[in-house]
Amino acid sequence: MRGERALYLILGVAFALTALLILYPAYHALELSFQRLDSFVSEPEWIGLQNYQTVLATPEFWAAFGRGLVFAGFTILFQVVLGIGFAMLLDAHVPLKPLVRGLAVLPYLLPTVIVALTFQWMLDPTVGVMTQGVRLMGYEYIPWGENSAVAMATVITLSVWIWTPFVTLAFLAGLQSVPGELYEAARVDGANGWQRFWHITLPQLRPVLTVVILLRAIWMFNKFDIIWLTTRGGPLNGTEHLPVLAYRKTFELYQVGEGAAVSAISFLILSAVIFIYFYAFPLDEKEE
Amino acid sequence: MVNDLSIGRRTALYAVTLLAVVYSFFPIYWMIISSFRDDASLYADASLVPGPFHLVNYEVLLGLTDYPTWFMNSILVATGTVCITLIFSVLIAYSVTRLKFRGKMAIIGTMLYAYMFPPMMLAIPLYSLFVKLGIDDTRLSLMVSHCTLTLPLGVWLLWGFFKQIPIDVEEAAMVDGCSRLKAFVLVVLPLTLPGVVTVAIFSFLLSWTDYTFALVMIGSDQLKTLPAGLDTMVGLYELRWGELMAGSTLIALPLLVMFMFLSRFFIQGLSAGAVKG
Repeated sequence: MRGERALYLILGVAFALTALLILYPAYHALELSFQRLDSFVSEPEWIGLQNYQTVLATPEFWAAFGRGLVFAGFTILFQVVLGIGFAMLLDAHVPLKPLVRGLAVLPYLLPTVIVALTFQWMLDPTVGVMTQGVRLMGYEYIPWGENSAVAMATVITLSVWIWTPFVTLAFLAGLQSVPGELYEAARVDGANGWQRFWHITLPQLRPVLTVVILLRAIWMFNKFDIIWLTTRGGPLNGTEHLPVLAYRKTFELYQVGEGAAVSAISFLILSAVIFIYFYAFPLDEKEE
Repeated sequence: MVNDLSIGRRTALYAVTLLAVVYSFFPIYWMIISSFRDDASLYADASLVPGPFHLVNYEVLLGLTDYPTWFMNSILVATGTVCITLIFSVLIAYSVTRLKFRGKMAIIGTMLYAYMFPPMMLAIPLYSLFVKLGIDDTRLSLMVSHCTLTLPLGVWLLWGFFKQIPIDVEEAAMVDGCSRLKAFVLVVLPLTLPGVVTVAIFSFLLSWTDYTFALVMIGSDQLKTLPAGLDTMVGLYELRWGELMAGSTLIALPLLVMFMFLSRFFIQGLSAGAVKG
């Protein structure tokens, strides 16, 4: 067919570009993790696995790893539960549906920086609107900047607020594909709303739910910006997880090699999850 | 269906809807009305009703800070990212769907893999490479970094669009004497326009909202984009909340306007997973 040579040429360029933009940096990240480097301009020294040994032997690595699991676990749990709730709501006969749907999706589009700033303003210890609300209801306000557990709960809440619409939209799209006859049959059999949800909706949407949870796991475990912008990993490293640790080591402590080793370890964990994803949802060649 | 619902159930549904709307929208509402308050009312008892209405925060922000420079930087970087992404993702996605060869699914697989990559994991090695090339701390380096987010997304989304268009459509045009390029531009591209628009919107969105790459790549104040620039104001000033909220509102404004007029594309793209994160 005509024009095939041009297409192959384009594809060659595409290959090169992919390699340059994505594969080479990934390789370079691994390379850095085997070197001793105290800045990006200094002469690297090859030290094998020493960075990994150093990193894995420090308690701060394991603490950060654990906090990452806590952060990812809770954010995914709440995002999924709330997201399903929102999707069921938007699937029902709510008034002004397009507007409600738009507003429900909006948090997902906002830059993380403005969410972090706005919530910090709302939670300001003296004049924040939330703080005043909490006081008005007669509770004591605990400043999130001084208590690790409260700070963690805060970044989890913000993350749930921002990223729940991802689950909502995926679940909402899935709901449209559940055959209506199933519900009719269940209704005839006398199943109530909760039983219909539990025995029809959830089983029908299991594939959607699996994809959503895997993707959320990949992204929440490596989420950097919301934590950095809100707490900088503090107070007393109470919200420092692996990406924050990698960033601090690289750009604040000038241990580029060790920072790269932390990244590489996260990368290995991440790749394991991605392989589970590809195994569960193979790219279908026949789809073509 | 609607009539099936008793009054009590409908009231409950409306109440839950209202709750959901307040939950989703209140922080945005609060950001906007705070940005119009002067210090006296900002730091007094918080009233939920909008007003009093002042422009002082905007005047300070646009007159006395680097905000206008950051705004221009953001526009430049986002525009560049959109252009590069559109050109390459259209070409790549089209070639991949029209050629038959072994291992082409590997390209798509790599794109999907790259799409799942967390930004921080690419940011550190990319920065190191930019230092070696001598282009660290430039808007160009930030643009290139943003393409690592947008290009996989563009190829992935457009691959889905192009493969739906039967090859017969172009072959018919080519039999009628069109060149391949002409057949592509006149026949295929118009059919995939919604996909192209979606990719353009989300490339802009990803570049406009990115903080992580901007933090790592840019050191000079004069070259920062809005999210990274605004964040430096938190440290510099003694928490000038009015100005920070004004700055936040102005970053959100283009997105809110786009969302209002192009919400069809937004919902379509979001449902396809266009925003990573």
